[in-house]
Amino acid sequence: MVRRLSVEQLSVTNIRNLRSVTLNTSADVVVFAGRNGSGKTSLLEALYLLCTSKSFRAPRPAESITHGQTEAVVRGRLLDGTVGREQRVLLRDGVRSARFDDKRPPSLAAYAQASPVVIFHPGDLPLTMGPAQGRRQFLDRVAFYTTPNGTKALDDYTRAHRARQKLLETRGVDAPDIDPWEALVARHGLELMQTRQHAAAALIDATEHAFTQFAAPQLVLRGRYVPTAPDDEDSYLTMLQNSRVGDSHRGSACIGPHRDDLELTLDGQPLRQVGSQGQHRAAVLALKNGEITAIERARGTKPILLLDDVSSELDAERLRAFFSFVQREQVQVFLTTTRPEWIETGAFGEASSRHNFEVDHGVITRI
Amino acid sequence: MLPDRVRTLIQLLSRLPGVGEKTAQRYVLFMLTTDSDYGAQMGQELIALRENIGHCSLCGNLAERGGSDEPICSICTDHKRDPHLLCVVARVQDLMAIERTGAMRGRYFVLGKLLSPLEGVHPEELPIERLKDRIASQNITEIILATPPSVDGEATALYLRRELAPMGITMSRIASGVPHGGELEYADPITMGRALAGRQRLSR
Ligand SMILES: [Zn+2]
Repeated sequence: MVRRLSVEQLSVTNIRNLRSVTLNTSADVVVFAGRNGSGKTSLLEALYLLCTSKSFRAPRPAESITHGQTEAVVRGRLLDGTVGREQRVLLRDGVRSARFDDKRPPSLAAYAQASPVVIFHPGDLPLTMGPAQGRRQFLDRVAFYTTPNGTKALDDYTRAHRARQKLLETRGVDAPDIDPWEALVARHGLELMQTRQHAAAALIDATEHAFTQFAAPQLVLRGRYVPTAPDDEDSYLTMLQNSRVGDSHRGSACIGPHRDDLELTLDGQPLRQVGSQGQHRAAVLALKNGEITAIERARGTKPILLLDDVSSELDAERLRAFFSFVQREQVQVFLTTTRPEWIETGAFGEASSRHNFEVDHGVITRI
Repeated sequence: MLPDRVRTLIQLLSRLPGVGEKTAQRYVLFMLTTDSDYGAQMGQELIALRENIGHCSLCGNLAERGGSDEPICSICTDHKRDPHLLCVVARVQDLMAIERTGAMRGRYFVLGKLLSPLEGVHPEELPIERLKDRIASQNITEIILATPPSVDGEATALYLRRELAPMGITMSRIASGVPHGGELEYADPITMGRALAGRQRLSR
């Protein structure tokens, strides 16, 4: 049986304009309605911090803290299936610390892996249209939740690749330790390719299926992971050895996971070239559905879904299609909107249990 | 507000790993309020520490300085150890972690550093010549490469393996993926013992 992860209660201190907020969030759908700058996205940021110890808006912890304050705290009561737990994330002096039931987790990565969360915000829209880097990061996010080692393959590969590059640039192509570093680039490169291959396999079926529901059903979206390096170690190593001179000028290796892509085609044509704006939006939504399904299958837990300002990016029909999927999946959804009047139209689903909040200047009222 | 001397000591203590300013302040107040011998004894021991403890000239482990002789550690002078087996580690902390398992019959060699082009550490900074001398002069026949299973630790092990290959000794590498994050220091003795027992013989 697949369990559902949910946040039952949330309390936030000093996250941006949220000075002190405690909310009962024990519902299938939680709506935060308010104008831009009201603090509704900060509530999603707090939820994301609670689950991952990181912000999706700011790379450095200090940026999420209320101006003029030195620390911020997010606490919450989560329910994983039938098992409850308290979680807490503290930001202070540029450092993050996290606790489960007042206990220190083995690592911040282990903390984040325990509470899978999927987020969709306006910044995701270039995912299918923009450069491959966004799609690699997306694959790595899925892999973080679906492989036991989390980001280990990515971290190891990144370190080995950067070390080889630094060596080529500062010590030349005949540095005495170039061979060991190159061997590690290939070893961890292959590990990362395998990790991404698994993530893509877990993701693609559900993505292709979901697309038929968000776009015209006769259109076929196909996804494929496209690595750039050969999948046997010897050829990989030979190619690296032969490209040392070129690589030392290029700033990175000519092959390897840092150049991979998740290729998307629409009826056999590259989506990036032929897709209309509406088709791109449908494809992004389909990928997010794929992410939810991949996490569910790998972990046996339905992730929490955070939707930031989707009503400004999607038309009512697409939104309804997306919500009907979300409700079949029975994931807990938190969403922000500038259009509270949409709540009653059913655009955000016909939730049997829904809590609606109005957010204004960091003050939150149940409506 | 605080007397200068108190502030200085707080600053000194807060440079210790894992000690912040608040904790340092608690330590100073504790030393001021507890019996007067405690602080004095600690002061004497701290001065004596640098004067009397150095690094073993053979392996790099902590060793007592004895007069004019080069310091030699208690492991290098322990005659019950297998003189032909040498375990190469990155740091003294790693040596201690392996010693806690009680499973290591041989002696050690502490590198002091790991290869890391990103931090500017290159092969010429590793004590390779001293290691080769040790192997040749002490008839070492087997080497265990026990650098941590991190990327830098693995690169260093690969480099040593190639550098030492012409010496015709048996080499093995501790089982990988054992402690999370590659810190041997934090591995419990059972896990560390398993990494040692599960070491892989490396082909020449
Ligand atoms: Zn010694």
